[in-house]
Amino acid sequence: MKFSYYPGCTLHGSASEYDISTRAVCRALGIELVEIEDWNCCGALEGSSNKALSTALSARNIVIASKTSLQLVMPCSICSHNLARADVSIREDSRLRQSVEQALGTSYTGVRMKHLLDVMVNEFGLENLKGRVTRPLTGIKAAPYYGCLLVRPSKICRFDNPKNPVTMDNLIRALGADSPQFRHKVKCCGGSLLMGKEDIAHNLSLNILSEAKAAGADCLVAACPMCHTMLDGQQGMIEKHHDVKLDMPVVYFTQLIGIALGLGEKELGLDRNMVSASRLLDSICKKQQDEKMQEKREKQDTGNTDGDMGHPGGHAGGMGK
Amino acid sequence: MIKTEELDPNFKYEIASMPGGERIKYCFNCTGCTVSCPVNEIDREFNPRKILRQSLLGMRKEVLSSELIWLCSSCYACYEHCPQDVRITEIMGALRTIAEKEAHRGNIAVPCDKRKFDSAFTGSIKKHGRVYEAMTIAGFIFRTKGIGGMLAYTPMGLAMLRKGKLPLLPHGIKGKKQVKAIFEMMHR
Repeated sequence: MKFSYYPGCTLHGSASEYDISTRAVCRALGIELVEIEDWNCCGALEGSSNKALSTALSARNIVIASKTSLQLVMPCSICSHNLARADVSIREDSRLRQSVEQALGTSYTGVRMKHLLDVMVNEFGLENLKGRVTRPLTGIKAAPYYGCLLVRPSKICRFDNPKNPVTMDNLIRALGADSPQFRHKVKCCGGSLLMGKEDIAHNLSLNILSEAKAAGADCLVAACPMCHTMLDGQQGMIEKHHDVKLDMPVVYFTQLIGIALGLGEKELGLDRNMVSASRLLDSICKKQQDEKMQEKREKQDTGNTDGDMGHPGGHAGGMGK
Repeated sequence: MIKTEELDPNFKYEIASMPGGERIKYCFNCTGCTVSCPVNEIDREFNPRKILRQSLLGMRKEVLSSELIWLCSSCYACYEHCPQDVRITEIMGALRTIAEKEAHRGNIAVPCDKRKFDSAFTGSIKKHGRVYEAMTIAGFIFRTKGIGGMLAYTPMGLAMLRKGKLPLLPHGIKGKKQVKAIFEMMHR
């Protein structure tokens, strides 16, 4: 499998752990990523109000990607929304197409494009992924957080149900973890308001974090750098402003896949998350050890009923003498 | 009190002529947008139904100079919910674009930090081709929150630096000229 790769600005900066874990997991699964040349910012949500500008900025990247015959994959939900929105708008609106082509100085050619989550679940496939898991996340509750732009508007991103998506739930289960009922899976984190209306943004994210805690989650799973900035990066500020203790690790779905594939903490950029993921990793290790012990005990029990071996306690007693 | 002589009957056509604003006249004010809005849950002042109604009535200056149009978080919940497919998130964008132009011409004042941030962010793209996160965010915090704001964000900034999440230099691209041309054509 080979794809063109558009990381977007944050993956080269504040969301570097998303880029690191994306590359590590794809490498481990044999998915080749070729970063497109000289890409520019898609305009993010700050530029999306001006639809003509946002469309042209995104279109420049699409035209670059269209020079290869590869499908384009994007881990950032904002980038993938903007590029897909641009593609649909250019196809629907001939006047917009004309001005975009004029601004780019070239004719517009589209490209097949997908969010990385879509690729992992629907192209690589969950059955395939299951077969590669070496460290199943048994006993871990991971709350899937889709946010907004991964699933809305459904006219643009058609890969899952906009009101009750299940793609990430299924992914979490394929890795051996539990995906609890999580009512806030498509509720807005308020990220685009952080810099102008911090109080509203913090309140929206606090609702999501509290809901995850109430659902008994060991961690939240994100698929968007802005959601991650709010839920992970801003969590300390939210705790301070609202005088609450949350301590909720928030990992990218790529990091979660990587843990289950047995990749290391550094390899997945887990040391870059702001809320320490070490408690989560410890409990994964502990639950795995418990399970191994349990298996061992069960084996020994079966041994006993066959009458081949004495009681293990007997051996221990013998050694003590 | 709404004064009819102050209304601008052409405002809805102006919005409809903008990319994204095309479907405003389909709105029949059912309130589906407001009940699905997460921002409205936190701040009742932000009421998308009211903004749409005011726009259709022609309350141009009131809508454009209000901070409220900048409170939409672009979550597309209303867009998905709307029975008339008005595409409200896109309408909010069209309103902001008109407001930006009017503010640029000095016709209205928009005292809104979100607008300032958006403009600093797009300014950074125009200059480098990609957003220069460290400078855009630090500059914005300094301008809007002063030294106190900078100090409050310092521990987080330092932690991000330590973790390699905050490159100190911008990533300039080769196609800066092309990006600049896009801005000049589309950002009018």
